[in-house]
Amino acid sequence: MLMLIKEKDRAVIREMFEALVRPVKLVVFTQGPVHLPGERPCEYCEQVVQLAKELGELTDKLDVEIVNFHTDKERVKEYGIQRIPAIAVVGDVDYGIRYYGIPGGFEFATLLEAIIDVSRGSADLADETLEKLSRIDSPVHIQVFVTPTCPYCPSAVRLAHQFAMVNEHITADMVEAQEFPELSRRYGVYGVPRTVINEETHIEGAVPESIAVLYVLQAAGKLNETEAQQLAAISR
Amino acid sequence: MELALSLGAPAEVYDVVIIGGGPAGLSAALYAARAKLRTLVVDKHPRAGALAMTELIANYPGVDEELSGAELLARFRRQAEKFGAEVVEAQVLATQLTSDPKQVITSEGTYQGRTIIIAAGALGRSGSIPGEKEFIGRGVSYCAACDAAFFQGKDVAVIGDSREMPDELELIVRFARRVYLLPRKRLDEEVRAQVTGHASVELLERAQVKRIVGEGAVTGVEVVDEGEAKVIPVAGVFVYLSGSRPTTDFLDGSVEITAQGCIAADPRTGATNQPGVFAVGDVTCNEVRQAVVAAGQGALAALAADKYLRRAKRMRQQWS
Ligand SMILES: Cc1cc2nc3c(=O)[nH]c(=O)nc-3n(C[C@H](O)[C@H](O)[C@H](O)COP(=O)(O)OP(=O)(O)OC[C@H]3O[C@@H](n4cnc5c(N)ncnc54)[C@H](O)[C@@H]3O)c2cc1C
Repeated sequence: MLMLIKEKDRAVIREMFEALVRPVKLVVFTQGPVHLPGERPCEYCEQVVQLAKELGELTDKLDVEIVNFHTDKERVKEYGIQRIPAIAVVGDVDYGIRYYGIPGGFEFATLLEAIIDVSRGSADLADETLEKLSRIDSPVHIQVFVTPTCPYCPSAVRLAHQFAMVNEHITADMVEAQEFPELSRRYGVYGVPRTVINEETHIEGAVPESIAVLYVLQAAGKLNETEAQQLAAISR
Repeated sequence: MELALSLGAPAEVYDVVIIGGGPAGLSAALYAARAKLRTLVVDKHPRAGALAMTELIANYPGVDEELSGAELLARFRRQAEKFGAEVVEAQVLATQLTSDPKQVITSEGTYQGRTIIIAAGALGRSGSIPGEKEFIGRGVSYCAACDAAFFQGKDVAVIGDSREMPDELELIVRFARRVYLLPRKRLDEEVRAQVTGHASVELLERAQVKRIVGEGAVTGVEVVDEGEAKVIPVAGVFVYLSGSRPTTDFLDGSVEITAQGCIAADPRTGATNQPGVFAVGDVTCNEVRQAVVAAGQGALAALAADKYLRRAKRMRQQWS
């Protein structure tokens, strides 16, 4: 079978994976070999499975588990998976990092980074950001809509995943907008990156960490007065 | 299907990352590289700056032959590269200037620098078409690679004629059914031939854009064409215009901006209020906008960055 990851890139990734500390698991949700009646065909499932397996071959610290979305209800529930293809990047704990659709193109880099962060069990965020995120004590769900050819998107995905790393109440999904047209329509996605936080709050485009965190606080109802003013000034 | 996979930017850290490859940025690069600093220039396009657009430059000291701004700039670049500066073509989208190292997020990935010199000139704009800001992400886009696919089989408008427009249009025509092209001024022959080569492109050179209209999402562009006002129904609007405001849209809010929208910088060193961040050239609203002034400021900022990195008391002379 043709490899998805080129030989040259494999060498680079092997080197990047030397930074891995603790084991990481990619739990990949896909369709079964036989299609049930009424089941929607999953265009990229096979490629996502293959991509995950090829990554798994590059280090002994990365495990890959393949789960049938239609039959393994228990695993689906455990990870709160909504649709396929999906990948959960799991470390010592499940930080709530998800990929819906193929992490191809520019997004592949964010998958590598997420694996490394999860393995280290820490995310590289400013102290000020960490302080702000530590105030969040109720569920925050971040969905970042992307396309693989969007150069602005990885920074939005990476930030969302880093936020999920440092606060157990935050979960963050990358969503490949074109693979899930209904979802994109539901959230009015006409351009990417578009970040939807807890349904109501949304961010257009890539914004720096110091601003993204304000939107997350807003969605969680945790903005203090100064921050609210800062955010109002930006969105004016 | 071939699956493209990007591995992201290497984790190396530059001593100086310079945003903008005009006379200010490239002079800074020359001086930084000669000071043996690891130097990177991120420039969105070699022809996108003010000097690059100048037909003939007659008042740059030492250059007394007939030379275009673009040619002068190519010399700046060659000289900087000769001393080891790297130049990448990428658009800076966002920055993180308070972290260490500082981050420069671009269309080609993220670069890291211990110091940053901002030299992005003053050809920027802020959503100035009525309706533009309101519909960002709801049909208004600046990035065809990101968003063109959302308009598969739909009609869209392209407003403007900046350097990147023709390339962006190439991507848009792959998806859109019909593309109404609304440049601000007459296109040069070369660009015109390229854009009208697509059967789906309708060039409307006389139409004047009045506003972007919609309800929740874009539904059309209101124009005045031969004295007659009408709405062209479209689902998307891609905007490629340049203006005359300092280009500061990628800043993270940590650098002081004056009431005129310029970066507040010390004219002797380019230093901003943010340690390790310098600004030079037209982004600082110099009272005189001249290539030689921008170049001089670039040199000073590079030496100031060098001083900052060495934690020294004085700037070093480069008397070779
Ligand atoms: C029509 C015209 C004629 C002029 N004639 C003369 C003259 O005869 N003599 C003279 O001395 N001066 C002249 N000037 C002024 C002179 O060109 C400017 O003062 C000078 O170019 C400023 O240099 P700069 O490096 O600050 O900006 P620029 O030359 O504008 O360069 C800015 C650079 O930043 C890059 N950039 C911008 N945004 C981004 C981004 N987001 N990411 C990456 N890169 C980015 C651009 O690609 C560009 O290369 C003229 C200006 C104009 C507009």
